[in-house]
Amino acid sequence: MSVVIIGGGPAGRAALALLPGARLVARPAVTAWHATPGRIWVEDASGVHALPFTRLLLCADEPLLLLALGCAFAHGRPVVDGRGETSVPGIFAAGAILGAATPEAAALQAGIAARALAGQPVQGAIAPPPPRPLPEAPRRDPGAMAALLGTPPGPARNAAALAEALRQSPPAPARPVGFAALAALAGAPPDPLPAQADQEALA
Amino acid sequence: MSNPDVLVIGGGLHGLSAALHLARRGRRVRVLEKEVAGAHASGFSAGGVRTLGRHPAEVPLALAALDLWHGIAALVGENCGFQATGQIKVAEDAAELAVLERRVAGMRAQGHAHEELIGPEALRRWLPALAPHCVGGILCRRDGFAEPYRTTLAFRRAALALAAEVVEGARVTALERHGGLWHLRCADGARHAAPVLVNAAGAWAGRVARAAGEDIPLGFNAFMMMLTAPMAPFVAPVVGATGRPISFKQSASGQVMIGGGHKGVADLSTGRVTLDVERLAFSARTALELFPILAETRMVHAWAGIEGVLPDDIPVIGRSAVAEGLVHAFGFCGHGFAIAPLIGGIVADLVVSGGTSHPIAAFAPDRFGRAAAEAGAALPQPAG
Repeated sequence: MSVVIIGGGPAGRAALALLPGARLVARPAVTAWHATPGRIWVEDASGVHALPFTRLLLCADEPLLLLALGCAFAHGRPVVDGRGETSVPGIFAAGAILGAATPEAAALQAGIAARALAGQPVQGAIAPPPPRPLPEAPRRDPGAMAALLGTPPGPARNAAALAEALRQSPPAPARPVGFAALAALAGAPPDPLPAQADQEALA
Repeated sequence: MSNPDVLVIGGGLHGLSAALHLARRGRRVRVLEKEVAGAHASGFSAGGVRTLGRHPAEVPLALAALDLWHGIAALVGENCGFQATGQIKVAEDAAELAVLERRVAGMRAQGHAHEELIGPEALRRWLPALAPHCVGGILCRRDGFAEPYRTTLAFRRAALALAAEVVEGARVTALERHGGLWHLRCADGARHAAPVLVNAAGAWAGRVARAAGEDIPLGFNAFMMMLTAPMAPFVAPVVGATGRPISFKQSASGQVMIGGGHKGVADLSTGRVTLDVERLAFSARTALELFPILAETRMVHAWAGIEGVLPDDIPVIGRSAVAEGLVHAFGFCGHGFAIAPLIGGIVADLVVSGGTSHPIAAFAPDRFGRAAAEAGAALPQPAG
């Protein structure tokens, strides 16, 4: 089992204490900027690379990462069960992303989620997260969305980005990434992808 | 509107352009859009207004459409952010320059002088930040770009102003023709009927055609694009390459948009798209090799729109070969934005008079059962 924890706050640290084999992704040393199924894309001093995972615990307030992985949201928060597991099996949330009010509450949630993630018995349950009001705004075109994403992350930016991303697919990357670092990831020219086929009927 | 003359499936730019042109000719039009206007490719393309490098069959249409773009406000009431910055296709070595020389000569032999070969000095004047290995290019001075979502909304507004209807959230689940009418049923139970049906359903248009009894080999792609943080102005024209897929431009805000053909993975049933980061990285590397100044910036956004594509890389435009009262306009293969203002007019021609003065034989819906359309004569065409 390959476990990745995102967030260096009280929840992330509490989870790491229970999951010592996990990989902790914490700013400013390492930034998780995007996610694709089974992989977290990070940027650090060595460049851009992917961290594969079979279990993920997101503690930082980075809703676009969960959205990119197909997790369901309701009222501005990821939908989780009492163990912190999202609508996508193996992906958990705790702490800031769930609106934990205090560091202690965040650590408590992380403890529950970490034990559940590891298949250990869990005591207690994570309460349904408080709603996060999302701003009403006209749909942004990609340029306006990029301008929003380029502002420093924080509650207002994250809520606005989530509101917009919920209307679009694919969800935008959670954070900017160095252009040269991204380019350096490229290997040999990829084979062209053929067009995807569709033989479905109207439904 | 109780009895529309025409139903249009698809509230993207092409469906809305058709609705506008039909409404201008006095037809009562109802557009049925399963989500919201511009939900997929129309709202998320690169916005290229390009005659450069087009398939020969598309060149007359692209040139006519370009004239419309230069007066787009007269059609839709605003300029859609159109800027005639020019477009340049760059040759990175002598072999690529030879390809471009042959292309320009071929165009001139067909009577088209819009593509202009430029050497290294002119290239440097137009693109001072371009990497020094580039040796020349083709310039189309009247080309440029516009804002896709703004354009889509402008066509929607203009169509509505002429009493067209746009019904959003209207997902068509069944259609049949009897009694001289097309009868459509939507997922919410609503029913619509009209003598004429326009299939402008984009990547989903193959399903509409099949339901009407016509099998057209429409596939789909999710062309990825990205935007950088704002940078000081360093490039005005839209730039493409000859030997690799790239489309590159800088907006007035300073953001640089990079697209051109690398694809993510889409699910047509859910509308969800997953970015392919490795391929996105390859686009970034190509852009960086052409414009080293990008090393200073960061990528802040990436996305993809779902676009219908056909095996010969040109669209289907024409009356159905098998069904009465059905007109198709779909499968624009990632480069339909520029010609949308014209295509709506062609669709209106076909609906109103049964034919058009524009040359559309190469786009016939039934061409796939016979000899393929002229192939291999387009330059690599960047999506968008």
